[in-house]
Amino acid sequence: MSIESTIHGLWYVQIALQVILSSVVIGRKAWRELPGFSAYILFATSASLGKYAISRSHSGITYFYAYWICEAIAIVLGLVVVREIFMKLFAPHLALRKLATMIFRVGIIVLVAFGCAVMYAQAPDAQGWMKTLLIVEEATRIVEVGLIMFLFLSSGAFGLHWRQNIFGIALGLGIFTSVELVMLAVRLHLGPSVMGAFSLARLLAFELSLMAWIGYLLAPERATSSADVPKRAQLEQWNQAVMELISK
Amino acid sequence: MTITVLVIALALCAVVLLYTAVRSRRKQSAQHVRAVDLNAFRTLMDRDDELFMKEKLPRSKFRHLKRQRIRVIVRYVRRIAANASAVLHMGEAARVSSTSEVAEAAAQVMELAGQIRVQCLLALMKLSLEYVMPSLQLTPAMLVPKYLILRENVKRLSSLQPQTPVPLATAI
Repeated sequence: MSIESTIHGLWYVQIALQVILSSVVIGRKAWRELPGFSAYILFATSASLGKYAISRSHSGITYFYAYWICEAIAIVLGLVVVREIFMKLFAPHLALRKLATMIFRVGIIVLVAFGCAVMYAQAPDAQGWMKTLLIVEEATRIVEVGLIMFLFLSSGAFGLHWRQNIFGIALGLGIFTSVELVMLAVRLHLGPSVMGAFSLARLLAFELSLMAWIGYLLAPERATSSADVPKRAQLEQWNQAVMELISK
Repeated sequence: MTITVLVIALALCAVVLLYTAVRSRRKQSAQHVRAVDLNAFRTLMDRDDELFMKEKLPRSKFRHLKRQRIRVIVRYVRRIAANASAVLHMGEAARVSSTSEVAEAAAQVMELAGQIRVQCLLALMKLSLEYVMPSLQLTPAMLVPKYLILRENVKRLSSLQPQTPVPLATAI
């Protein structure tokens, strides 16, 4: 089986998964709680169907424009989703939200600076539209991946509890954007010879993300577990160890 | 080439972070609240005690003992941070209670727990510095009084919800 036919097969799988996910989003009326994510998914599904139709009936150049316009909109919507996750994660924690917003803003500035540095460093190699677009995409993906990393790092540092569906959305987006970033860097470094592997990895990563989103959206929310009181013997043991250390 | 390596490293860090997040989420479901003996913690944090040791002990012995002390303090701070996280988690349900008094108390508890989490982070940073340079004295002094207030607030919240079988108030 050639790489082209594998990609073609995976494209059908992707469209099928997107249609399933869109049905879940519509069926669960997810836009009420997650308007950004719903818009992202519904747009991605429509874009895939549209691009498929264009690839069948139009020239390569039409597909090229359609692909990059959809890609640009998807990246913007991806950033909207990251913001939505941030708001959902910190909504119940006013004290933490102020600090997190400040760190988040600093993070954005640092990431945008890094993205600009990447664009600047690769500017001399940017011959032709394709390479320029790939460099710009790489820079925006750096910002996206960095912000997703920030979400996970800050939730860990502040000990925040992720709701099932929010965690799933962040995880899926993280998987896709990370793989996409690696592949973009490799593609820019090695040139069009790795285009087949690039498309394959991208499709697989996106399909993995789609499966994660479907799974987490359908999974029931975990009930809040009650806290376990520590055994008294454990506590005494611990205190004794501390007292021994102090009296050393 | 350097840029490519940097970009790939960033993406791989993200993948590792995602993997860690999935793993810690599984562990989180089995998270226990553990009691903190604040008297012992206070004794460990006592700076007079530390000054006394500094004066009486040889430098190498003092450094060794201080690092040992810091290791124990770090375990206490982590326990306080974990308990604050558990309070944040459990306060979420109470925050949306139909009883305004409960919702208000829960919001207060969550605010305090959030502040304690931030202070724990700062304390851990200070302790890391002290571990590297044992002669430093960067006391995370606010942690004990804040934690006591949190305890009281959690007790108050529990008394407002007598039907809730969560023994958190007695556990932290």
